[in-house]
Amino acid sequence: MPPTSFEQLAVGYEFPPVTYQLSESAISKYVEAVGEQQDFLTSGTVPPLAIGAYAMNALSQSFSIPPGSIHASQDFEFLKVVPIGTTITCSGKIAQKVERGRLSLVVLEINGLNQDGEKVLTGKAMIAIPR
Amino acid sequence: MKQKLEPSDIHQGDSLPQVVKHVTQRDIDRYAEASGDFNPIHIDEAFATQTPLGGTIAHGMLILAYMSGMMTEAFGNNWLEGGKLSVRFKTPARPQDTITTSGKIDSIEHKEGVPYVNCILESCNQKGETVISGGAVVKLGQYCGGKKT
Repeated sequence: MPPTSFEQLAVGYEFPPVTYQLSESAISKYVEAVGEQQDFLTSGTVPPLAIGAYAMNALSQSFSIPPGSIHASQDFEFLKVVPIGTTITCSGKIAQKVERGRLSLVVLEINGLNQDGEKVLTGKAMIAIPR
Repeated sequence: MKQKLEPSDIHQGDSLPQVVKHVTQRDIDRYAEASGDFNPIHIDEAFATQTPLGGTIAHGMLILAYMSGMMTEAFGNNWLEGGKLSVRFKTPARPQDTITTSGKIDSIEHKEGVPYVNCILESCNQKGETVISGGAVVKLGQYCGGKKT
């Protein structure tokens, strides 16, 4: 029986990849939201945490992260400068799942690739989910 | 993206230029729109009040963006390509919090002739509570004055 909720996902589950167009309007919205300097828009470069945000968003497209979940930790590695206008494909998988008391600690591995198939970002997020 | 700090400016123990941001519910709502994260804990006061958190909180990734912004300001494209970040989210940031993000150069290592700057990072609220803590590593020398060497 296929999983129907985030809590049912097992270690090794791979989230379906999601593609995003990093358009000037999308990045402008992001830059304004985080109060970033306009240098990013002037230089035509995507803030690396914007790619991180899209990568995290990709994971919640197929299964909503349960209410009450806490984003406990985050690692990122930024591998390439990404120009505005790039198309990125974000994917991820469940790397680890540990039950700890009333919480399930889930480690998610995430990746972002540009339209040439080059990795631009990798990361790991730990989410604590109420059981 | 040009960096403020040239390699000759970087010394162990130096502090990075601080970033101070006042977080409003409007900022949180705009971040939800920009990131696609519409978890009601961030944007629905009626929902959030019923949770143990007692009210809406900012996205951890919003506060982390302030930290990345500080690193971009200091290191430019060397952060965007070759930067590594590793943090824990300790305390939620709430609307009307003032978040001060600071960093310090902990050490500089050389591997195969390439300098790597290890930084300790922290974001605190106006009460001095740690919101995010962690570290970052920046590989220097790939970019100078914003251009690839």
